[in-house]
Amino acid sequence: MAHPSIPSAAPQPVAPDPPRRSSRRRLIRRETLVGWSFILPNFAGFALLTLVPVLMAFALAFMRWDSYGSPEWLGLDNFRRLVSDETFHMALFNTVYYAAGHIPLTLLASLGLAIALNRKIPGLGIFRTAAFFPYITSLVAVAVVWNMLFNPSLGPVNQFLEAIGIAEPPGWTASTAWAMPAVIITSVWRDMGYYMVLYLAGLQTIPQEYYEAARVDGANAWQRFWHVTLPGLRPITFFVVVILTIQSFKVFDLIFVMTEGGPGRSTLVLSQLIYQEGISQGRFGYSSAVALALFFLVFIITVVQFRLNKRGES
Amino acid sequence: MPRRLVSSLGTTAVLSLVLAACGGDGDADSATGDGGDGTLTVSVWNLEGTPEFQALFDAFEEAHPDITVEPVDILADDYEEKLTAMLAGGDQTDVITIKNVMEYGEYANRGQLLDITDVVESADTSDLAGLEAFDVDGSYFAMPYRQDFWVIYYNKTLFDEAGIDYPDTITWDEYVDIAEQLTEGEDEDKVYGTYHHTWRSVTQAISAAQTGGDLLGGDYSFFADQYEVAVGLQESGAAMDFGTANAQQASYQTMFETGATAMLPMGTWYIAAILAAEERGDTDVDWGIAPMAQRPDTDEVISFGSPTAFAVNENAANADAAKEFVEFAASAEGAKAIAEIGVVPALQTSEITETYFSLDGMPDDELSKKAFEPDVVELEMPVSERTADIDEILNQEHELIMVGDKSIEDGLSTMSERVRTEVRD
Amino acid sequence: MATLHAPVGEDAPLAPQPSAAPRRRGARDLLRMIATYTILIFLALLVLVPFIWMISSSLKRNNEVFTVPIQWIPEEFQWSNFVEIWDRIPMHTYLRNSAFLATVITFLQVLTGSFAAYGFAKVRFPGRDALFLGYVATVAIPWQAYMVPQYIMMQNAQLTNTHLSIILIQAFGAFGVFLMRQYYMSIPDELVEAARIDGLSEYGIYWRIILPLSKPALASLALLTFVNTWNDYMGPFIYLTSNELWTVQLGLRSFVGQYDAEYAMIMTGAVLSVLPVVLVFLLGQRYFIRGIATTGLKG
Repeated sequence: MAHPSIPSAAPQPVAPDPPRRSSRRRLIRRETLVGWSFILPNFAGFALLTLVPVLMAFALAFMRWDSYGSPEWLGLDNFRRLVSDETFHMALFNTVYYAAGHIPLTLLASLGLAIALNRKIPGLGIFRTAAFFPYITSLVAVAVVWNMLFNPSLGPVNQFLEAIGIAEPPGWTASTAWAMPAVIITSVWRDMGYYMVLYLAGLQTIPQEYYEAARVDGANAWQRFWHVTLPGLRPITFFVVVILTIQSFKVFDLIFVMTEGGPGRSTLVLSQLIYQEGISQGRFGYSSAVALALFFLVFIITVVQFRLNKRGES
Repeated sequence: MPRRLVSSLGTTAVLSLVLAACGGDGDADSATGDGGDGTLTVSVWNLEGTPEFQALFDAFEEAHPDITVEPVDILADDYEEKLTAMLAGGDQTDVITIKNVMEYGEYANRGQLLDITDVVESADTSDLAGLEAFDVDGSYFAMPYRQDFWVIYYNKTLFDEAGIDYPDTITWDEYVDIAEQLTEGEDEDKVYGTYHHTWRSVTQAISAAQTGGDLLGGDYSFFADQYEVAVGLQESGAAMDFGTANAQQASYQTMFETGATAMLPMGTWYIAAILAAEERGDTDVDWGIAPMAQRPDTDEVISFGSPTAFAVNENAANADAAKEFVEFAASAEGAKAIAEIGVVPALQTSEITETYFSLDGMPDDELSKKAFEPDVVELEMPVSERTADIDEILNQEHELIMVGDKSIEDGLSTMSERVRTEVRD
Repeated sequence: MATLHAPVGEDAPLAPQPSAAPRRRGARDLLRMIATYTILIFLALLVLVPFIWMISSSLKRNNEVFTVPIQWIPEEFQWSNFVEIWDRIPMHTYLRNSAFLATVITFLQVLTGSFAAYGFAKVRFPGRDALFLGYVATVAIPWQAYMVPQYIMMQNAQLTNTHLSIILIQAFGAFGVFLMRQYYMSIPDELVEAARIDGLSEYGIYWRIILPLSKPALASLALLTFVNTWNDYMGPFIYLTSNELWTVQLGLRSFVGQYDAEYAMIMTGAVLSVLPVVLVFLLGQRYFIRGIATTGLKG
């Protein structure tokens, strides 16, 4: 069998070729090993220090636990409570509301900034740095200044709106209806520089030759943007969209400093509820159930994004 | 591969969880053993900015030369969060400073604090204010060393200029009246008659204390009068409106020390801060304190306050010394040590008051002294398992009333309704 | 943002000199440049307003910070704040700790992240994509949800109150892996294949081909990780108890008391703590702007 003569190997489909098959298996095993050897340094740290506590938190979602004694098994009680908890419904709605505003606006703003600032013009470095400043400015300063800009009677935003003929401008952070838009605007302003950095890196992957080729073909600037820049940014855009989605759904800091979830519960988001229920009220089981709900929501969205991305690639 | 991975990770998780569950109690055995190494660890917040701790430690070390105090300095801002994590991990810090009674309820209910009823009962507690706040079904897990209560700070210069008498035991109607008379100016130069900080206690706790209403009861119609006062003041412009104060993170210190408000209902902790500001030369405001304004149907001065206490960690490495410290802090010696630096001790005797008013920069008029001895000081928020939940709801609905999103009546009825239906164990 | 797009569309990113540009465009270019800069300056101001407030507050007395309405120019400049803060808190120690943590975590994150990303992007093995998805999805869980279990684990391992605890919980995560994987995806597989045929091992390909090509992404990952670690407050706060281990962000919060806070000092410290970050940004940005390396990619 080691050296099958050529004529006798005629019925090929019936008799599979043993050596080749096992070598393929060996190849897969080798590839798997190589793949894991790359992943392992990061994955080991991640699994031990993040994944394990996360799984513990998930297990707690089915228990009652006050952070000290032994957890008590509750089954689905925490989730039943979720279904009827009005505060959870509000926080869920607010989180989705925030994400729906924050994701597209930040995406556009950061892409716009990156493209505008991705040029070698003297002095542009200063503007790039400036665009990143909101992200490194103290949150307290951000909250105070934006709340001042949004002040219903004295703030420049409303003075501008009145000047262009809007008789009753919104109450922004002092009103339940407008607090969320105010928070969204502030957070887009804060995050755009962060995602701009990612887009700037992405823009460097687009080979210069593509632009030259497009120019030769007589493409105008808009066409070049549409047919060269955007497709070239695909992988990084996918990254930005996924991370932006995740970060939006777990937003906490900025809202907490700006409105503390108020007025009332109008800007209360899921992360704050998780914090409140767990750390403040000592109901770590219920808090974990909220976290699990948040996780599933984001997970489903992420899976859809991965699917769409895959379809787009092929 | 992934399946095996998932299942093995699952096993690890369950194991760790079991470990975790034991973690809290597990360390206790090793802890109680070593009692005599002479160091005592005490969790405190903001050690540098809260001189009362160092004052207490120095006094205690002097009285107990064999014990050295080692502070565990935690940031004041998220003290509770850190403590929750530390205690969950079985931390062995001996003495836990209880920042507010709500946390106390949580820790005590979880069994994270040592029962110190024996210490409380053996000590003389007849003059110790705020002790009843720590009574959990007849047992005590902490002992107060400090008790702040609310008074009205006022700017003497602004009162003199307007020719108005200092607010000596006034009613709320008179308070509103005075505030409106003292209000003047526009925009940057505006001087408000009074400033109500954004905390819900400014309206709710005072109302509960003076009407006898129950803050945990689920019927909050008794707040109505006090909300009329608060909302009325901001509508007439005699107090900064809530929306602005909240959004701009208005500081009561700034408001009072820069003369932007003539009156300020606030806790006695502010005395030490204002004295410090004077010493640094940050302010030259001529100030005094007056008794809290009252409802018309009483001749007593009723205010509210919140005690600060020390407790012994259930896992304390040095529980005996810890108990001694807790007792010391609540004693006359401890009280004297903190009164000398301008902090209001829980132990209230005439001797302590004297020490207090002999401080540099302290106003020494009769009204201020009168303000310092209210007839009744009710607890800001009673302790129960439901306190934290109720607090959350009261806060949210307070905001809605104050920003004008809901009328007082609607706000109070949702408040009552939510506390009755949403709060659970 | 529409205003931003307008000047953008006119000129392609990284536009090289067109080979035969008509000379007459000179005047129009000048006008366009003036317009661009005007818009940029306006936007820059809008973006910097809160930072200006920070600086202004850092030069005030404590009780002048939160005036209503905002007072932009301090009545009397308190330059002494910038001297005082070094006496009030051990800023040197805090800065050193922050720098140490941020550097080590950034280094580990970039190293292990870019390494793992190669496995996810260029090596094919069963279960790869599912694992990756799970990796990314865990980012969605807020830290508050698993903070206490994680703390208990670390406490059992006797790691709390050490810098190592912060390094361990922050250095390994999906963010860097995901970012680098996406970047590698834009590097054509043919390049990797060619190297394989040339007999380079997978590790060799990662080190000699992929890494040099991904400088812009490495630089932005490093920058963002550095900034996030530098500014992180909650992690160090929960894990570090001894004062000599504290970071700048913890140091600043030590000016917050039970009932009040020294905001002038906090803002002074905040201004100081932004400086190193700005420096890192200025140094780093040439890498993600002048990404000439990519011209080596010819699909």
